[in-house]
Amino acid sequence: MSLTITCPICGKRNGYEFRYGGEDKEKRPEEDMFTSRAWCSYVHMNKSVAGTQKEWWCHKDGCGAWFAIYRDTTTNLEVSDPNEDGSKAKA
Amino acid sequence: MFGKFKRLWAKQPLKKSYDAVIIGGGLHGLATAFFLARNYAMTDVAVIEKRYIGYGGAGRNTAIVRANQRTQENLPLYKEGLDFWPILTKELDFNLMFYNCGNLNLAHSEAALKALRLQVTSAQFHGINSQLVDPKECKALIPALDISDRPTYPIFGGMYHPPGGIVRHDAVVWGLAKGAAKLGVHIHQQTEVTGIEVENQKIVSVDTSNGKISTPRVLNAAGGYSAAVSYHMLGIRLPISVLTIQAMVTHPLKPLLNHVVSSGAYHVYANQTLKGEIATGSHMDPWPNYTTQTSAYYIKHQAEALTKLMPCLKGVKFMRSWAGLADMTPDMAPIMDGNYPLEGYYMDCGWGYFGFKSSAVTGKYMAQFMATGECPDILKPFELRRFEHHRLMGETPAVVEYSPNN
Repeated sequence: MSLTITCPICGKRNGYEFRYGGEDKEKRPEEDMFTSRAWCSYVHMNKSVAGTQKEWWCHKDGCGAWFAIYRDTTTNLEVSDPNEDGSKAKA
Repeated sequence: MFGKFKRLWAKQPLKKSYDAVIIGGGLHGLATAFFLARNYAMTDVAVIEKRYIGYGGAGRNTAIVRANQRTQENLPLYKEGLDFWPILTKELDFNLMFYNCGNLNLAHSEAALKALRLQVTSAQFHGINSQLVDPKECKALIPALDISDRPTYPIFGGMYHPPGGIVRHDAVVWGLAKGAAKLGVHIHQQTEVTGIEVENQKIVSVDTSNGKISTPRVLNAAGGYSAAVSYHMLGIRLPISVLTIQAMVTHPLKPLLNHVVSSGAYHVYANQTLKGEIATGSHMDPWPNYTTQTSAYYIKHQAEALTKLMPCLKGVKFMRSWAGLADMTPDMAPIMDGNYPLEGYYMDCGWGYFGFKSSAVTGKYMAQFMATGECPDILKPFELRRFEHHRLMGETPAVVEYSPNN
């Protein structure tokens, strides 16, 4: 299963150089409003979208940078930010 | 035997309503349908399958069955699941080709041996036959193993679990489908669920590509696709990561491997099928996706691991490889729940790469749950709420030890 990922520092590299860091879950819950359920939701719950999702990666066998990309989970291809103009597609 | 084909189950028209709709024509779905009909006389049941029955994990696993889990919640379920195969063979009157050749898990360090000691004693406590063996005994069980100190990770010992083995997974799919259909269950293949309708926090109907079905009960048994069904249809997020797991077979060989063998350090498990092929696989590709693509990277890894463990396999060719989806939970244990968070919504998912082993017995208990509305005691620890109560199970798999969560 081929996968390439574009690191903001090193450019497009083999996916096996990277560590998947989970779905993007937006903001960490505020601690003064902290509930067990909110923490569980932030830590464990995934959308497991069949389609494009925003997700975190670490370039573990490279520069070590953490960054977010968009990827289509049904084709395993990196895609451009669906919220932006499609013309900015990554090479 | 040739020429006269008799279909195992008939194609039925999609009715406008059913007592229960099961999403997913895999082993868990078909088993639940079978036991709903047989044990609870609930025959007005539809199994909705997007592709064909046994397309997913049911036909892609490497057919290994065992009961050497780690925790007190999981062991009884897996034990009953393992003991159930011969019983099910009789009940379905269908040869499931259960071959209880035994499983040998190898340890390649003192720490791994200590971990196996814990697993062995837990299994013995629950009345499961499992024992520690030293390298010489490993060699006696599998002469092809290299127990010298030459390998990168020499063998320190192993966990031998004699009642485990292999079951023909397709036969289980066909046997359960035949049995369920005979009792009146409708199996709708090539029918995709496109939506689930909810009113006042209650399930009311299921939309499919072939029409709408009114029903008070839905079971999500979509295997690798269950998390996506849950999120896309109901907006319910689950603690699941969907990973690809690859497997492959070599060309057929004369008998040389009489047990299922696995090694955590080398990330490999293997068994010789009745056809003579060495079926092998190991860990998952570490990023979630819904493709079932295989990779050269992985075949290379598998060949290296297999030949280090059993050097006599050098030069043997892989004949084909494939992949399936594993819906992994953070604690490596499944999620079985019902009437939560919606009334009439049941789930049997998060089975990862170990859903085959107890599929039939789980179907029996899920059927009890759906027919009575009461969760059987044996399934209670597997509720979805265990994650928000921080009661994750201490289950780690016998062969692989990572998911994207650790």
